[in-house]
Amino acid sequence: MTKAPSATPFERAAMGRFVVGLAAFGLLLVALPYSSPLFAALFPQLDRPLYQQQTFATLVGAHLWLVAVASLMATVIGVGAGIFVTRPMGREFRGLVETLSAMGQTFPPVAVLALTVPIIGFGFWPAFVALALYGVLPISGNTISGLESVSPAAREAAEGIGMTQRQRLMQVELPLVAPIVLAGIRTSVTINIGTAAIASTVGAVSLGSPIIIGLNGNNTAYIVQGAVLVAGLAIVVDLGFNVIATRFLRWRTQ
Amino acid sequence: MIHFHDISKTFGTTTVVQNLNLTIDRGEFCVLIGPSGSGKSTILKMINRMVEHSTGEILFAGEGIRTFAPEVLRRRIGYAIQSVGLFPHWTVEDNIATVPRLLKWDAARIDARITALLRLLNLDNARFRNAYPHQLSGGQQQRVGVARALAADPDVLLMDEPFGALDPITRDSLQAEMTRIHAETGKTIVFVTHDMDEALRLATRVVVLNAGSIVQAASPRDLLSNPANDFVRAFLGKDDYGLKLLSVQLVGERMRIVDIPCGPETVRPDDSLRVALSRMLAMKANRIAVFGADGTRDGTVFLEDLVP
Repeated sequence: MTKAPSATPFERAAMGRFVVGLAAFGLLLVALPYSSPLFAALFPQLDRPLYQQQTFATLVGAHLWLVAVASLMATVIGVGAGIFVTRPMGREFRGLVETLSAMGQTFPPVAVLALTVPIIGFGFWPAFVALALYGVLPISGNTISGLESVSPAAREAAEGIGMTQRQRLMQVELPLVAPIVLAGIRTSVTINIGTAAIASTVGAVSLGSPIIIGLNGNNTAYIVQGAVLVAGLAIVVDLGFNVIATRFLRWRTQ
Repeated sequence: MIHFHDISKTFGTTTVVQNLNLTIDRGEFCVLIGPSGSGKSTILKMINRMVEHSTGEILFAGEGIRTFAPEVLRRRIGYAIQSVGLFPHWTVEDNIATVPRLLKWDAARIDARITALLRLLNLDNARFRNAYPHQLSGGQQQRVGVARALAADPDVLLMDEPFGALDPITRDSLQAEMTRIHAETGKTIVFVTHDMDEALRLATRVVVLNAGSIVQAASPRDLLSNPANDFVRAFLGKDDYGLKLLSVQLVGERMRIVDIPCGPETVRPDDSLRVALSRMLAMKANRIAVFGADGTRDGTVFLEDLVP
C-alpha cells in the first residue's frame, strides 16, 4: 500500500549479517568434502573419518526441504487456528486450540515418530507429521496473543470508518501482528531444524543421518560433521528471518 | 439529515437511551453533552450502527439506516474518536486515504484530496505526508484523525470526545480549527463531549442529556439565558456561569464605534466578550481596542458595556 521507501539501516545491517552467514555456511559446505585429512588427524582411530553415504549438499537440501514443508504446514495450521479462534464465531474454540497445540509441543517428537511409523511407515512422512505438530504451538500462540494485542482504538476506527471484517483482518490486524507471527514461525523453524535431525531414526534423509550412523557406529567424526552443519544451518536460517523481521518493522524504526 | 424517532437502547436489562426524538438538520453543529452514563456516546454510535438501536427508527438522509449495509453507511459518515486510532503501520497519507481507497477513487483524486485535507487541518504536506503516526504529537495525530474522517467528503461527521485527551492549548487550537472547518465545509457535525465550555464554543445547538433522555436542546445562547431546570443550571456551572454568558456573545455586538487610546492588548469583533474581559483584566484597564481582521481600528469595548 505504501510506496516502497528505501531500506532502513536496520534492514541493511540485518541483510549484511545474513549474507556473511550464508557465505560462511556455503564455504563450510564446499570445504567439508575435502576435510578428510583434518578429521583423520583429529580422530586417528577411525577407518573412515568422513561421511560419504550422501553428499553433504544432499543432506542439507533434504533437511531444509523437510523443515520447510513441515513448517509451512505448521504455519498454515497455526495462523489459521489463531485467526479462527479470535473471530466471533470461533471464540469458544480458543481453549481447545490452546490445549491441543500445547499437547503437540509437549509430546516428545521421538514419541510421535514411534507412533506414526506403524501407521504411515518409514521415511519422510512420519518425520513430516512429527515436525508439523511440534511446530504449531509457537505459531498459534503468537498469532492469538498478537491478534488480541491490536490496539482497540485502531480496531474501532477501522470498523467505524467502514472496513468490512475481512478488510479489517487483511489490512489492519494481520499487518500489525505480522512481526509477532513471524517471531513464532522463526522459533518454530529454529526448533524444527534441530528436531529434524531425529527424523533420520525413522529413515528420513537429513543432517541427522551422519549423527545417527555415527552414534550407532561409534564414529565421532560423523557426529561432529552432522552437528556442525545442523548448527550452521540453524544460524543461517535465523539470520534470514531477521532480515524479514526488520522489513516488517520498517514503519516502527523510521 | 438525521432523525431519531422514538429510539430506545437497552443492554440486557439496563436502558441507556429512552424514547429519544431528535432531528439534526443539514449543516448543524450538534453537540451532545451529559455526565457519564447519560447515553451521549451510545446515541452517536447508533447513527453509524456501531451500536444497534433496540426500538424505533433512525433516518439518515431520509432513509432508514438499516436499509444500508453497515460499511456502506459508515463510508458516508466520518468518524473520529478520542483515542484517534490511526493505523500505526501506515503513513499519514495512507491513513487519510483509507476510505477513498475503499470507495475505489482513482489515484490522482485521492492525491489531490490528501493535499487539500492536510492544508485544511494546517498540517505541512512535505513534513507530514509520509510520516508515521508514532512520529506525531497527540494533537497532530488527532488532526490526521479528523482529516481521515473527512477524507471521502462524508455527509455527516461524528466525533466522540475527540479532544478529550489533549492538553488545553492543543485542545483550544483544534476547537478553533473545528469552528473554521464547519464554517468552510458546511458539514453536519455531531459531537460528543462532557465539557460545557467546549459545547458552548462549538455548537450551533447543544443537546443536554441525562440518564438517556434529552433534558434540553437549544442554541448555546438560549441554553444559557433559559436553562430548562436545575440539572442544566448545575451543568452550566455556578461560579463561572456569568463568564459562560460572556463567552457566547461577541465583541462586535457590544463595542462602541469610538477611537480612543487603549492599552497594548486588542481584540477582534468575532472574539467573545469573555476574551475581551480577560484581556482587560490582564492589562488592568477598563477598556480595550477592537481591530478588524484587516488591521483597521473598528472601535472600543468598555468594561461597563459587558453588563447590559
